[in-house]
Amino acid sequence: MTAFTLYNYVLSGNCYKIRLMAGILDVKYDTVAVDFYPGFEHRQNHMLALNPAGTLPVMTIGEQVLTDTQAMLAWIALNHDPSGTWYPAADPMLGPLVQQWLAFSGRLTNSAGLAGLHSMLNWPIDGEAARRAAIKDLRELELHLTDRVFEGKTWLVGDHPTIADIACFPYVALSPDAGLDHDGYPAIRNWLYAVRSLPGFVTMPGIHHLHELREGADG
Amino acid sequence: MTTRPVGLTRDLPAGRVMHAQADGKDMVVWRATDGTIAAWDNRCPHRGMALSHGFVRGNRLACLYHGWHYDRSGRCGLIPAHPDLEPPATIHATQYGVVETGGVIWVSADEAPAPDDSDLAPLRSFIVEASEDALRDAQEATSADGAPPAPEASDRVSVLCNPIEPGRTQVTVLTAPGLPLPRLRTLSRWCEAMRRQAEAKETA
Amino acid sequence: MSLEYAKNDWYAVADIFCLRDGPRRTRLLETDITVTGPAEDATVTDDQGNRYPVQLKFDHVWTTLGDSPRPLFDIPEGDEEGRRRVPCGVVRVNCSPLRAVENFLDIAHFPFVHTDILGSEPHTEVSPYKVAIREESDEVWATQVKFFQPQAAKSAGDGIVTDYDYRVPAPTVAVLYKTCPPKPEAQDVIAIFVQPVSETVSDVWPWMALYDDASTFSEMAQFQHEIFVQDRSILENQRPVKLPLDPKMEIPTRADMTSVAYRRWLKKRGAFYGALRDGA
Ligand SMILES: N[C@@H](CCC(=O)N[C@@H](CS)C(=O)NCC(=O)O)C(=O)O
Ligand code: FES
Ligand SMILES: [Fe+2]
Repeated sequence: MTAFTLYNYVLSGNCYKIRLMAGILDVKYDTVAVDFYPGFEHRQNHMLALNPAGTLPVMTIGEQVLTDTQAMLAWIALNHDPSGTWYPAADPMLGPLVQQWLAFSGRLTNSAGLAGLHSMLNWPIDGEAARRAAIKDLRELELHLTDRVFEGKTWLVGDHPTIADIACFPYVALSPDAGLDHDGYPAIRNWLYAVRSLPGFVTMPGIHHLHELREGADG
Repeated sequence: MTTRPVGLTRDLPAGRVMHAQADGKDMVVWRATDGTIAAWDNRCPHRGMALSHGFVRGNRLACLYHGWHYDRSGRCGLIPAHPDLEPPATIHATQYGVVETGGVIWVSADEAPAPDDSDLAPLRSFIVEASEDALRDAQEATSADGAPPAPEASDRVSVLCNPIEPGRTQVTVLTAPGLPLPRLRTLSRWCEAMRRQAEAKETA
Repeated sequence: MSLEYAKNDWYAVADIFCLRDGPRRTRLLETDITVTGPAEDATVTDDQGNRYPVQLKFDHVWTTLGDSPRPLFDIPEGDEEGRRRVPCGVVRVNCSPLRAVENFLDIAHFPFVHTDILGSEPHTEVSPYKVAIREESDEVWATQVKFFQPQAAKSAGDGIVTDYDYRVPAPTVAVLYKTCPPKPEAQDVIAIFVQPVSETVSDVWPWMALYDDASTFSEMAQFQHEIFVQDRSILENQRPVKLPLDPKMEIPTRADMTSVAYRRWLKKRGAFYGALRDGA
């Protein structure tokens, strides 16, 4: 028995959030490959019937359909994280802070995420505007993560990685593919590395394996 | 040529790799597992891949493209496609000078002398899309207004510039050591204010 | 001069899908062009109203800007009964079109760039293979290439030693033939058709002709997108951006025999668009 079905596209950073969270928590799921590109299947009737917003990912749990990525992360954590640390929803301070960074991750989809679609797949949007917005978002994240370095902390919120880290990770990690390098963002670089070091981490195109953690050809 | 500040010691732990630019050169700066640091030309001699995308295995830096391994002297010690081959000594990465003082990483393309040690502590390293002149003006303007988040004399703020391209400057900010957490947060926000001001001036 | 040479080759500038929602505005060899559908009867014009020749082949619309174009090559296997043809759309890469082709011909990067799919440590060794410039067709061929692969195709289960043949029929096109897991007597065909936007910007059209009855179109295309976009971040970070033809500038090993032959073949033809010439 698998936990859910993911309507998936391999180059979508939002779909990747779900694959990553499921990988880390070792949750088994089914996938349906959606021809997001070049077919734009997510905008066809059978997909709009499932998600009227015409976005990916879509997640089904039996009859229940989820269409918002951050809600899917919450579902996985609430149902498949026995430690309860990935989504401390009931904590009076950590819960709201996680919500804040989940919302921030939605902004990243529309800044760095769109910049990526524009650079790579020629998405018909204003690429320069998306890149400017992405730089603003990266700087906001760098400021917060620098505060965390001063505090001796690694993660966005609290003492453990949360769904907020997973939600913010993909489009920040992929931003160099959209022409936005990480040169001026040392705190972001070290946070990305921490996420990539998590047990169960999975990759997506543009985010490679930490080969240093693997068995080398030279032993 | 001079010695340029390209990052903070705290931001480059053992086993990690970063990209740096100084005096028109692209560099990879990396720290071996044993803590030693090296700065090289950011180009793998094999097929020109940026070594700053590479990974550290023990005390060697490996290129991400085909995994060629280079030891600390820059010499290639392993070509995974031919694991039994002893790579010719002629295959090596080009080395630059690198030193660490006061928590700051300094590089030079020649053997320029290391800067004097200071008792200041590093606060942040970041990039401003503006010239060094615009940044200096912004430093003055945002310090003068006296209101938070502007620095106070007791913060002993010092701003180092590394001009990396026309209109693009890497900035390293140092402060008095041992400042309390709220003060660090405030001064970090002053860095943002200084950057906003410099970039607004640059585009104006 | 190098631009003049390049103008007399044919280039993919659209596929059979992308013209459905209207014309495609694009750039070929630094010339802005408009490709207008339907694919079966497409037209290509520039902004001055000049019209360029068109042919539909391998599920793509091909055009040429030159006055005396060399003939467009063939991939006869593409028409074989039972193959499924998968045009994968276009991916923009900020790299030389020649670097994109050379990367496609390279297997030594599989364990590091396509980890756990097309290669994995410690299976990094590249065994000797054969390379030739075939005089009759004037194409570069590498044959008897073998590599251990954890997941060679969407249709492959466990790891297998995959056999490859590589072919360069034109400066900005590479075709490979590889072991087809469900049909051992046949070979899958995968190609990239590179549309040179400029010497340093490439629009890459991956295309496949596979024996695979189990996977959906989307599964096959996504497999190719995954592989190609893993290469993209490599291609955008090679320096110099243009492909150096001076043998002293980069260091090949035995595993790079295909790349060495490709560079020599480009030089011999005078196909310098996207290349850094000797001593330049
Ligand atoms: N609010 C949605 C947004 C998801 C989203 O934007 N997904 C992208 C793919 S990563 C998409 O489907 N874009 C549709 C399009 O651009 O056509 C969520 O968080 O789930
Ligand atoms: S380019 Fe560095 S190993 Fe090949
Ligand atoms: Fe590749």
